[in-house]
Amino acid sequence: MSWSNDDKSTYNSFMDKYKNLFILFVLLFLLLSLKLFYLQVIQGTFYRNVANHQRLNTTHERAYRGIVYDTNGKILVGNESNYVALFYPFEQQYLPSEGTVEQLNQILNRDIKPFIDKGWRYGRVVKIADSLTLDEVFKIQEKKLFLPGIMVVKEPKRQYFDSIENAHVTGYVGEVSADELETLETDGYKAGDYIGRGGIEQSYDKYLRGIDGGLDLEVNAKGQHQKAFSHRAPIIGNSVYLTIDTELQKVAYEALKNTTTSKGAAVVIDVRTGAVKALVSCPSYDTNKVFTNEYRKYLKDKKLPLFNRAIQALYPPGSIFKIITFIAAMEYLKLNPNHIEECTGKFELGDRVYACSSKAGHGKINLITAMTFSCNVYFYKLGLDLGIRVLGKYAKLFYLGEPTGIDIPAEKKGFVPTPEWKKAKMKMIWLKGDTVIFSIGQGALWVTPLQMAATMTAVANKGVYYKPYLVEKIIDVENNNTVYSHLPETKEKIIIADNVWEQLNTALINVVEEGTAKRTKFSTMKVAAKTGTAQNPHGEDHAWVVAYAPADNPQIALAVIVENGGSGGIISVPVAREILKKYFNIQEDDGNTVNQKVHKER
Amino acid sequence: MFKNISIFSRIIKNIDWIFWISLIFLTSIGFVAIYSASLNYDNPMKFITTQFAAFIIGLIGIIFLASFNYQYYKHFNSFIYALSCLLLISVLIFGTTVRATKGWFNFGFFSFQPVEVTKIMLILVLSAFLDNHWKDIKKLSILCKALCITGGHIFLIMLQPDFSSTLSYFPVTLILLYVTGAKLRHLLSIILYGSLAMGIPLFVTFFKLQPELLRSHKILNFFVNATTDFQSAVLILGSIIILVFLVKWFLNKLRIPVGFVYPIIFLSIIIAGAFSSVVVEKSLKDYQRKRLIVFLKPEVDSRGAGYNIIQSKIAIGSGKILGKGFFKGTQTQLGFLPEQRTDFIFSVVGEEGGYLLSQLTILFYFFFVWRALVIAQHARDRYGSLVATGIATMFAFYGIINIGMVMGLMPATGLPLLLLSYGGSSMFSSMIAIGILLSIHLRRFNQY
Repeated sequence: MSWSNDDKSTYNSFMDKYKNLFILFVLLFLLLSLKLFYLQVIQGTFYRNVANHQRLNTTHERAYRGIVYDTNGKILVGNESNYVALFYPFEQQYLPSEGTVEQLNQILNRDIKPFIDKGWRYGRVVKIADSLTLDEVFKIQEKKLFLPGIMVVKEPKRQYFDSIENAHVTGYVGEVSADELETLETDGYKAGDYIGRGGIEQSYDKYLRGIDGGLDLEVNAKGQHQKAFSHRAPIIGNSVYLTIDTELQKVAYEALKNTTTSKGAAVVIDVRTGAVKALVSCPSYDTNKVFTNEYRKYLKDKKLPLFNRAIQALYPPGSIFKIITFIAAMEYLKLNPNHIEECTGKFELGDRVYACSSKAGHGKINLITAMTFSCNVYFYKLGLDLGIRVLGKYAKLFYLGEPTGIDIPAEKKGFVPTPEWKKAKMKMIWLKGDTVIFSIGQGALWVTPLQMAATMTAVANKGVYYKPYLVEKIIDVENNNTVYSHLPETKEKIIIADNVWEQLNTALINVVEEGTAKRTKFSTMKVAAKTGTAQNPHGEDHAWVVAYAPADNPQIALAVIVENGGSGGIISVPVAREILKKYFNIQEDDGNTVNQKVHKER
Repeated sequence: MFKNISIFSRIIKNIDWIFWISLIFLTSIGFVAIYSASLNYDNPMKFITTQFAAFIIGLIGIIFLASFNYQYYKHFNSFIYALSCLLLISVLIFGTTVRATKGWFNFGFFSFQPVEVTKIMLILVLSAFLDNHWKDIKKLSILCKALCITGGHIFLIMLQPDFSSTLSYFPVTLILLYVTGAKLRHLLSIILYGSLAMGIPLFVTFFKLQPELLRSHKILNFFVNATTDFQSAVLILGSIIILVFLVKWFLNKLRIPVGFVYPIIFLSIIIAGAFSSVVVEKSLKDYQRKRLIVFLKPEVDSRGAGYNIIQSKIAIGSGKILGKGFFKGTQTQLGFLPEQRTDFIFSVVGEEGGYLLSQLTILFYFFFVWRALVIAQHARDRYGSLVATGIATMFAFYGIINIGMVMGLMPATGLPLLLLSYGGSSMFSSMIAIGILLSIHLRRFNQY
């Protein structure tokens, strides 16, 4: 077969090129087929997901978070409803059109200017208007046709009661950040979800957050809804019952606020279980106002209202550490409590002079009296006899330098210094002087108010140290069953001879009866307490008091600190008195105690 | 011998089954896809009816043109070229404007796009010219004349302006020149010139869409700036000149003789290409340039020029192996897919028919092109071979450019998928082309 008018060779040269052309076409169509195979077979599942993602618009119906109750069944944290207008992005739009915004502004009589923030990703809804009234909600529903992509959704809003007093216990909630999402996505958190920030809200977040409901809608490219799939009702989060007594909390906060500096913390623990009855840090902040401009004020406030002093602030224990020195001396040195030492008001060691709380000196006193009036000199001598190793061992025996394990986040563990630490950190050897001040709770010894309250529970229980906790039980309201119930948990028992506990109890009662904590003496109930005035190189001394009551059959232990308050006996003891009065419902007039002479201790 | 066999069985025997099955398969798939694509948005019957009417009219056209001896076209060559130019000029005067392109005659009850016919007329004219001058095709003057025939059409079409319709002219012209026997280096020079003129403005547009990339890559930034900054342009051209002569010097060292003419021709092509790119840049609107290049990385303009490609890839990919079923494609039915009746018809097939059906579509499209090439091979004269090759090339490149585009392999041009895409004019012109092919096929034996 060849062309009729040409010779064979020209036809053949045409056919050579024709073959090349054929090969070119084969290759090009093969290329198309390979790309098709890649798109549909290899990447098919990926693209199927993308296609479903852009056609299915899940309207989330946010679940209410669980309700938080106090020990008396009073609601601390609840919910209220908030209607918001959302915009669902579609096609090539990620913000509503100007016409839509204008319509919306007309209906709502507001001046909304929608914008998207940096973290916005395709497919994410944009909040257009917040806190809509029911009236406005209906108006938007009526004009729905003219507002493409706009949808009104009921969103729960967290509501806190006695919010300032309880702020450090409850914490608050905030939107999950983009960074957090990367790690939390596997736990079911999604963009726009709320998560607890601090306090119970954070540590019990997985119980408190409910299960979001929702409605899957199929939308077309213009954002119009085509059909709806099944609706899932949201499920409220579990109810959390706290050990906290709001009334006690309020009294403690009020008392702290009325002190000279209004800075401090108070912790009250039930010695029989470790249940925290009150945990207050002053000043505090309003959890209902965290997402308003108020928050900036909190951040700038020099008194640090956002700082939870009860569990995060580290103070030297000062004279309240004498409790541990007392125990160590009796237990380790087998010291007779009637052993007499003379206090001349000062203690000389080498070329340094260490002062006592009383300039004139306490004279010849035994251990009990030294404790009652908080004589430093007596304890300096005990400290030197014990040595830093033994003192440090006893400090650690009472779990200082380690967290109590309370069930709210960010607890500080404090610090117990050792000679090795001093050598590594400051390149200096441990001196006897360091031991001297250590024996009265100064130096690099750091504790939190919570640790001191917990230590007092151990003292009150004669060595049984309950782990402090805030959540008594958690109830799944949907199925009405108890999800979690707290069982009292103890740390390893502190083994000390019984007579030591008894002598210490006597000494601590004496502190209240005639010593430095006279201001919290009650005629109806015996209280055991120890005051402390912790020296603070940066300013005024911190005023401490720790106590348990009733002294013969302890129910609660407490620790109070007033930052820069000065003398513990004068400043902190009245706060403790208010707490005890409230807890034990004592109607005693304060007059007779206030005028009594208070011994200055150091 | 022939007397013993009836005419009917002779026709049956001579029918190219693969060709016809491919044709029917492709048009049927097209009908279903058009129906599916208009199901939720318009009156689907309206589009199907129009398409079907064009198909039937086209079939009548096939019968008419197949029975007409194609060899006569050669004698009316000048007339056909004049008529085609007249059509293109009159559409510039009397045409209606659709989407900023003045390319349509509107007759009220139907409208017609003359470029769809002139592209076939050009194949006839160019083939006739090359058939007459095939002995001199290696001469530059004949080559230039051939290019001018195509150039005239392209010029008139660009006045509309309808950039995408000119696209098929380039491969058709180049391949017809190639099979006639034009020198390879002439053709390569044309390709180099063309790719420079088109490529430079497109790549500049592409990189300008990615300011961060430019900020981090200083050299790239320098090259992009060179298109507007005279000094750097001179610097780059200067270094290219030096480089070319260095290569020449080096080749001479290796005792490979290279005359002075070649580097100079090479450089003049580069410079001409660079200058023409300025004209191309001016004649293409910003959005057009973006659309043409964004396929390399649609994400850089995902809500603008890249949107169509992204959605089309999602549609095709999400079809997976078996597809979502006809009329059940979410991308198609919910309107995510753009231009789904016309340019993106293949995405509908891909989504609803899956890999199996879309691979089959590509396969049949290839069969169709292959049979057209076989017709070229069997033609009784050079003219017939050239016309058939031109038509086969046209079909092949429409398919490759369109399917490549919907899969993000090629620039987003507005080229339809012949035989499948909705459009009366393109369906009608495809049928005309098929009619001419059959005319060549039926007259393949000298006996007839």
